Amino acid sequence: MNEVLLPTLVVLSTLLAGAALVAVLDQAVAGMIAGRPVRGLLSATFARGMLLWLRPDSTTEHPDALLWRLAPAAYLVLAALGLAVVPWSADFVPVRLPTGVVLWGAVEALATVVIFLEGWAPNAPLPLLGGYRHVAAGLSYILVSMFVLIGVALPAESLSFDAVIDSQQDLWNVVRQPLGLPLFLVVGLGIGVWGPLRFADAADLAGGTTAETSGPRRLAWALGRGAMLVAFSAVAASAFFGGWLGPWLPGPMWLLLKMLLVLVLLVVIGRLLARMAPERFVGLAWLLLLPLSFVDLLWAGLLALYG
Amino acid sequence: MDLLILAVIALSALALGLLVQRPRPGAALPPWPARTTYLGGGEPATHAWNRFHVRYYPMTLLLIAFEMEMMFMYPWAVVYVAEGLKALVEMGMFLAILGVGILYAWREGALRWQ
Amino acid sequence: MAVSWLSALAARGSVPVYPAVGPAMADQVRRLALEPDLELVSTPRLASVLLVAGVVPSSADVALRRVHAQLPRPCGTLWYRSRPFPELDHPQVVDAPELIPGALRELHRVVLHSPRDQEPMLLPDAPPAPFEGRGDHGQGGEGMMGGMPYGRPMAMTADDLRDGLALDAIDFTLGPFFRGLPPGLVLELRVQGDVVQQCTVQAPPYAEPVAAPFLQALERPVPIVALELARARHHLRRLADALDLAGLDALGRRLLRAAAGLVLGQRLRWLRPMLKGSGLLASVGAGRGVLSDTQASEIGGSAARAAGLSIDARMGDRGYAQLGFEPIVQPRGKEVAGDIRARWRQWLDEIDQSLRLAAHAADIDAHTAKIGVVEGPGGRLATDQPLPDTGPVLETLLPGCEWNQALAVIASLPLAAAATPGAEAGA
Repeated sequence: MNEVLLPTLVVLSTLLAGAALVAVLDQAVAGMIAGRPVRGLLSATFARGMLLWLRPDSTTEHPDALLWRLAPAAYLVLAALGLAVVPWSADFVPVRLPTGVVLWGAVEALATVVIFLEGWAPNAPLPLLGGYRHVAAGLSYILVSMFVLIGVALPAESLSFDAVIDSQQDLWNVVRQPLGLPLFLVVGLGIGVWGPLRFADAADLAGGTTAETSGPRRLAWALGRGAMLVAFSAVAASAFFGGWLGPWLPGPMWLLLKMLLVLVLLVVIGRLLARMAPERFVGLAWLLLLPLSFVDLLWAGLLALYG
Repeated sequence: MDLLILAVIALSALALGLLVQRPRPGAALPPWPARTTYLGGGEPATHAWNRFHVRYYPMTLLLIAFEMEMMFMYPWAVVYVAEGLKALVEMGMFLAILGVGILYAWREGALRWQ
Repeated sequence: MAVSWLSALAARGSVPVYPAVGPAMADQVRRLALEPDLELVSTPRLASVLLVAGVVPSSADVALRRVHAQLPRPCGTLWYRSRPFPELDHPQVVDAPELIPGALRELHRVVLHSPRDQEPMLLPDAPPAPFEGRGDHGQGGEGMMGGMPYGRPMAMTADDLRDGLALDAIDFTLGPFFRGLPPGLVLELRVQGDVVQQCTVQAPPYAEPVAAPFLQALERPVPIVALELARARHHLRRLADALDLAGLDALGRRLLRAAAGLVLGQRLRWLRPMLKGSGLLASVGAGRGVLSDTQASEIGGSAARAAGLSIDARMGDRGYAQLGFEPIVQPRGKEVAGDIRARWRQWLDEIDQSLRLAAHAADIDAHTAKIGVVEGPGGRLATDQPLPDTGPVLETLLPGCEWNQALAVIASLPLAAAATPGAEAGA
């Protein structure tokens, strides 16, 4: 029983705490950029979440009620699946899968579906536009992510995150494969609907897929987004920063520190860069990012053979 | 066993995600004016669901080609170091052919919003 | 018991307010964005309080009722210098701008703690169209897609502007209180995919009152310092709107704060690198929203100068000539003269120029020399001049634009400015 309960608790509590942390970081960075740092960040963030919990749900004339209920929950499920394959130490990984990278690829692909459904379900023009725009970006960055992760898997000779972390005993992948992390961060922005790739919840669509959601459903969506960013940061920390490797401190502590680093990076990028036009991002992804990921793969391959 | 844990994690995350939304199955729907879609005070003339003109559909064909290539890459990554340079050259050829596909799509305007 | 403890916690957070902006109120609402515990939300679904600012004209009455109905009950409404709906028994009315934040907080607290007082629905509780048709699901009508399932028709196919594939197009009216548009602008749009096919301006944006120095300059010489600082403030606020559209609302608030606190001697050197670095200009493509020469000269002002036309009422003014004034004009490329980016760059350049001119003018205490005509922040102002009408321009510029480009076009064009003194201008 403990074998099942402990991993579940670890994953879910990390997602919940991490999503709250993302909200706090976001408010902190926004306050710094706006020139007036927010005081009482933790209570302010908690109060906003509590307000969303207490406000009533709103609905539209003829939504797809089932999908509207399932989409935010499915987003959280995908984040949980992604986080479940990340090892916390040499002994503890919630789900020991020999093909963790494949599962993460599936999570990224399904995230596009979930975000689209969140836009489809309300049967309203603005959310629908947001959903369809996101699909364009989602189909473009998925390949970049896959090539980068395969590049990380090459020296590990395996698709499990345990082996990927083992292969970084001498040198972290962020140094060994320098192109990998910037490309992977773009993917993280995409699956988290964040910053320059925030097509689904866009400000010019009055909140896009969330234009008709209020109350607890909005809270669930924000929770799912934060959770997805946390899961992504765990995968990025494992793939590029050596996961739980590190001297003096216990493994899980190192993983949390590296996740925090990636989260801070993502939040700062999200608040500093303007949202791109979807068409431009599609062009950028296929013409610049994808060839760069080819180069990254070639580099990783040569290094694995002769390095 | 691991798959069981994965399933439990997925189901509990689903339960958590649904509970956070505080579904009230028997609650009455709000009145009709509260259910109009938000358009800044404007009004929609039709339902939003439609045969949406997806302008990036040529790009999706290109994606399918690359997805098949991804299927090849997963096992390739595992045996790569054992196979050596031959494997790299084979993958390079595959990617080069697909790269020509990207070039073609670009010149044909598949990456522009039709 | 637990619920009231939770709602006490929630009441301590920021108040989500949806502002329904009426005529001459845009600058005051922008100032509210700087309040620390107010949050101006983009959709009424998130709001607990509706702020109606300004006397909403009767043509926008139904739209206001719709927005009012879309706030989830329980909610509150605050009427600032406005005429409340006659059906309301005890409307909360406020007249002084400094009382708004306190009143909003109080309404929010009431909404959270005593949700018994329901704000009434001001529209009849009836489906948009009777949909008991002939069939079991309300279907029945002409053709395959006729009828009004669940109260509205389904979208029908229409030709597309960009390629020959004719799929469905949705029609809707984007109303006067949409947060991405200037207040009062009502657009009737036909959108296929996310590209605007047709655009009709049903109501022009509300005219914003010009800052006091510009109105005074029409009648008598005015210190150039005041004029140029007011111009810089106006451009900063418009750039903040563009940043809000691009998702950079924190940076937008920084600009609004800079505009509110703009004094002589500041140069805002951080503005250009932050804006360029944020990728705002890169986020819209080049060559979008290009104004033709006739359109640009009609609109005048910074839009014309961004299109490469050297039109500026400050030329030929002795006061400005003393300062060595030269109108800034964006260079005309092969095809990208006068696009969205050029207009935004023009605002940036003019902010720099205005701050430089103000600093120089303060040294020699320069005053304007021309009266009757002044270069307002949006364009040329003259006494008894009719308001410029950007409606036809929008109807030609928007079709063929993707959604974000369409809103960026609107955010880059100057708003109609009233050359008559209105209530408190935003200087």
